[in-house]
Amino acid sequence: MTRIYIPLILFSFLVLEGVALELLPHSLVNQKLDIVPHWIFMLLVLVAIFYDREHTHISIIYAAVFGLLIDVVYTGILGVYMFTYAGAIFIVKGLSRILQSNLLSIILFSSIGLIIADISIQLIYFVIGLVHIEWKVYFMVRLLPTILANIIFLIICYPFMVRGLTNWKNRIHEDL
Amino acid sequence: MQFLRKKMLFIILIGIILLVVLIGYSLSDRENMSKPEKIINDTVGWVQSVVHKPVNYVTGFLYNIKEMKNMYQENQILKEKLAEYKGLIYEVQEVKEENEELRKLLDKPDSIRDYRAIDATVIARSPEKWIEQVTINRGEDAGVASNMAVITPEGMIGKVLSTSKHTATVQLLTGFDQFNRISATISRKDSKNIVGLIEEYDKETDSLIFRIIEESDKNLKKGELVVSSGMGGVFPAGLPIGEVKEVVYDQYGLTRTALVKPSADMYEINQVVVVDRGLPNPEKDDTSKKEDKE
Repeated sequence: MTRIYIPLILFSFLVLEGVALELLPHSLVNQKLDIVPHWIFMLLVLVAIFYDREHTHISIIYAAVFGLLIDVVYTGILGVYMFTYAGAIFIVKGLSRILQSNLLSIILFSSIGLIIADISIQLIYFVIGLVHIEWKVYFMVRLLPTILANIIFLIICYPFMVRGLTNWKNRIHEDL
Repeated sequence: MQFLRKKMLFIILIGIILLVVLIGYSLSDRENMSKPEKIINDTVGWVQSVVHKPVNYVTGFLYNIKEMKNMYQENQILKEKLAEYKGLIYEVQEVKEENEELRKLLDKPDSIRDYRAIDATVIARSPEKWIEQVTINRGEDAGVASNMAVITPEGMIGKVLSTSKHTATVQLLTGFDQFNRISATISRKDSKNIVGLIEEYDKETDSLIFRIIEESDKNLKKGELVVSSGMGGVFPAGLPIGEVKEVVYDQYGLTRTALVKPSADMYEINQVVVVDRGLPNPEKDDTSKKEDKE
């Protein structure tokens, strides 16, 4: 039973991402800033650090699966989110051994992961000719606001998620 | 360690190959989505439509509060307009009846303006800003098919990109590129219509680019209404697209293009109508996506 909590949470945030732009005030959306909700990615960072053990790769598998779902449901170009999410989560998981896990280090890791993920997404879209935007503009208009907005999301859900994730991790450990 | 590193390299290589294959597959000229994609879209769409209701209620409530502030002024203006419309309605009815009679005389019941309307609600919007698409809660079951025009009362907002059983993806006008041209027109008296093509959406000026084919009529003015002409074979005639914002020459100074501001708000879309032209015209539907420029 404990095992299906994480996919369920991730799935509900997948659905919520679709209405995210409606929830935000229109004055924020209508402006030239592009804020992209990477909620699933932020949750996966927490899963990678607080739920995954050293030898398991649950977070990376979830990253690939839910990345593919985002591709199918929201963009129609398969594989882009799937591989960038999986790759970025893999890097974050490797990095997380360096520092102790507290809120500050999590923010650091997740922003590094997010920068890698979003730049790779951008790069792929650029290569296939979907986006024509200068990199300088991209950094100011999209990357910075996106990271800030997603870190706010991370800080809000951090207390709930960490308690839940460590609980579930221990419970599964006892079951074994 | 050596083995581990080799294994990792292997996985990364396979991953890159898979990525290229998947992207290549999704960018290829496919008609519609594959079976698994449709199933995923239906399931997620079902949950989305459940979630969307309370969200919609909340945003609608906030919007209403904002609207109440200038209700009185609006009411005054609307009252004036209403009086004008009463006369207009009578006139339109007369014209319609006459049109029908004349059509019967001609024995030509199909019109370029006829269409069947399918009502739908927007249930989600792509969080990825580059990909301007929304999901609506009507699909193949309701008769929605790809390439149909999607409108709101204000005007056209886009066309259906792909469908699953119960949902459909709509590409917004703001995401139109050179593969999605609309033949459009500005209506003039004594059959001197300005004809042209809506070519693509220009992000820098936030407007659609309307290339004018005929150089006949020079006095194109600001604020004129651009409507679809129905000549492309996909969209019916008479759907309002936008207003002329500015007229500029292209980079060679030979043809003029008008910058058109879409009349529908692309950010506050809620209720939409899918326009089924319903003409049995299978050959044209295939090529309509790549409507020729000249």
